[in-house]
Amino acid sequence: MRRTALAVLATLGLLACGGPDPEPGLSLALNWKPEPEFGGLFEAERIGAFAARGLSVERTGGPGAPVVQMVTARQVSFGIASADEVVLARDRGSDIVAIFATYQTCPQGLMTHAARGLASLDALFAAGGTLAVEPGLPYVKFLEQRYGFGALQVVPYSYSIGPFLNDPLLTQQVFVTAEPIAARRAQADPQVFLVADSGYNPYTAVVITHGETLRSDTARVARFVAALREGWQGYLADPGPANALMGPLNPEMDAEAFRLAAAAQQPLIEAAGGAVGSMSAERWAELARQLKELGLVKQAQPADTYFTNPTSE
Amino acid sequence: MLRRALAQSAPPLVTFAAAVVLAELVIRALDVSPLILPRPSAVFAAATSEAGPLLSALGATARAVLAGLLLSSTLGVAAAVALASSPWLKRAFYPYAIFFQIVPIVAIAPLLVIWFGYGPRAVVAAAAVVSVFPVIANTLAGLLSVDPALADLFRLHGASRFATLWKLRLPWALPYLLTGLRIAAGLAVIGAIVGEFVGGGGLGVVVLGAMRQQRTDLVFAAIGYASLLGLALFGAVGLASRLALRHWHASETNR
Amino acid sequence: MGRGVAFALEGVHRSYRSESGGEVAALAGIDLAALESSFVALLGPSGCGKSTLLRLVAGLDRPERGVVRSGGARPAMVFQDAHLLPWRDVLANVELPLELLGQPAPARHARAEAAIAQVGLADAAHRYPAELSGGMRMRASLARALVTEPRLLLLDEPFAALDELTRMALDDELRRLWREAGLTVLFVTHSIAEAAYLAERVVVLSRRPAHVVLDHTLALPAERSAALRAEPAFARELGVLQEALRHGAALPC
Repeated sequence: MRRTALAVLATLGLLACGGPDPEPGLSLALNWKPEPEFGGLFEAERIGAFAARGLSVERTGGPGAPVVQMVTARQVSFGIASADEVVLARDRGSDIVAIFATYQTCPQGLMTHAARGLASLDALFAAGGTLAVEPGLPYVKFLEQRYGFGALQVVPYSYSIGPFLNDPLLTQQVFVTAEPIAARRAQADPQVFLVADSGYNPYTAVVITHGETLRSDTARVARFVAALREGWQGYLADPGPANALMGPLNPEMDAEAFRLAAAAQQPLIEAAGGAVGSMSAERWAELARQLKELGLVKQAQPADTYFTNPTSE
Repeated sequence: MLRRALAQSAPPLVTFAAAVVLAELVIRALDVSPLILPRPSAVFAAATSEAGPLLSALGATARAVLAGLLLSSTLGVAAAVALASSPWLKRAFYPYAIFFQIVPIVAIAPLLVIWFGYGPRAVVAAAAVVSVFPVIANTLAGLLSVDPALADLFRLHGASRFATLWKLRLPWALPYLLTGLRIAAGLAVIGAIVGEFVGGGGLGVVVLGAMRQQRTDLVFAAIGYASLLGLALFGAVGLASRLALRHWHASETNR
Repeated sequence: MGRGVAFALEGVHRSYRSESGGEVAALAGIDLAALESSFVALLGPSGCGKSTLLRLVAGLDRPERGVVRSGGARPAMVFQDAHLLPWRDVLANVELPLELLGQPAPARHARAEAAIAQVGLADAAHRYPAELSGGMRMRASLARALVTEPRLLLLDEPFAALDELTRMALDDELRRLWREAGLTVLFVTHSIAEAAYLAERVVVLSRRPAHVVLDHTLALPAERSAALRAEPAFARELGVLQEALRHGAALPC
């Protein structure tokens, strides 16, 4: 009994100390498999953008990785999350900060069958059928509050388009670079509504780090962001080489799927009149306000606590 | 009798209270992030402030668990009776019953949803699949261990196969069946929640949603409610066991 | 008096496959018959096949060679263990044979209560076997055997596990019940004294493969009482049986 208590205390101690200080090498936890969403990262590795700045970045994580927890506990230097996850986590007491936003326009959406002839989300939610979404997703709550789910049967989404293909009345959540492409290639007739068009538009595929890392290692974080930006600029110009690197790491997507996804995400990444990855306080303030209205956070923190745009000289 | 019930439940309650207090102090002292491990006080706060939705979700899960247990115990006993009735049947089919124990429910839950559709039916199926094997295995052991002299006695008096099954073999197997049910009850809760991860409804969806929203306090609160369900089922089987066996089986007469 | 034959075995052989795979002969050529209402004791060394013989008479087993003839109506059987159903009270246990025969509840309750009273267990009718002493459980087993009013009662060392005083009391009980009901009793035992005290006739078996060593009608009075055990006549009969038993145990296979 005593030994067990000591082991528990030791584990808690490790957690509380936040793990060992980040070593000279940096680490980044992905929240999905390698795909065009992370194209800039792979391109930066490929062209040596990190090495040129004296950085070595180890990739880790994957589908289902608890990235927010890992960064909160400083088990990794950086992670990929979405902006609403950042706001929620900070509200729960975590000190994570966003430093780079891949998607200026959120790629989340709802996909239904075009044959239903639904012109808008209003029509969709009135028409009923089954809605397959991950429970608890903030944008789902947003849509529920805005449109009402009364006419629908809401079921969990299990990351397979199988149910969509088999049920003409099923609507499911999508990442526009992924499921709609797969559905079209499976001879289905997807019609996609972007959530951003309804007014909920968090930055997505955001790089996060721990506030302490930002404060104590500011220069290195800025160099990392610069390298990543360079990678994204290269990837947007030509995604081919980085796609070829990612292909073997993600056997579920073939080269064509990579090409189509990279093309689909292009307009969502490019920032009008701003550097790739940069963020604005207005957008963060709007997001925090929306999440507070949805009852998902208790307090909206000042916008500049959620993010920063690191610049290196 | 009430005094005895209190005396028996006091030690585990005291242990629980002590563990909770200790955890609270340690988590506060080490300043562990609530995203990693919530304080017991936060979990209790979530359990009470969200009691409405949690109880409603608990109700849905509980209904699925009970239906699943009903299914698995009826089918399980029937299967055990069939397997016990013929050595050939047992050799031919018992190994496949083991399939129900080893198949990971996480892997077949999506299949169940495909077959039964979203909603309670798939959840009931998941609860039944994970809980059927202990019923089969234990009941079968009971049926096969009937005292041969008693079987002789029944034969001597010209009892039909059905009479022997109903009046001798099933009562003989009852203590074994109840042991199997004790195990099946907890498994059914797990099966139902995993089924809900894919099929929707109940505490499973609450857990998924809470994790997605970084509400680890709510995750633990939901787990707490699920544990209460498991405890209640365990207690119910224990009570049934006491009532059914109190006159005659060493497990209840030895107290 | 013209009494019929209660059961008869003619040239009966029975063997078993042993655990090591070989054939073990339990009974080798048994000839044995008993008239109705007689009390026959079967005496022999342990493991010689007495229980096998009893099961053949009961119809629970069939001989490989030879014929087993038994009166017609089902015999009742009492084992060394009372073998009561532990989840039923005494009354429900005793009425079990009648239940299996399909008799309606009021009739079987009445007959069961009568049988319970016959063995002196009336106060314990609603107790459970776990609450009873060994002697009481054996009485309940006897009552269950008698409830169908059988013509033939088979007992397989029923009192061997009980203490001396209880055993002597139940011996007297059994004799009384035998006299009252006029049924045929075949009583297996390895106790020479018990065989001599209870029976009219004792059949001594040799060791395996068993055959009849001695078939001896006892020269003892019809009425038996505890005092008989001290009589010289009793000791003489014991000697006869002991000699036969020793002889049978020493015989080569």
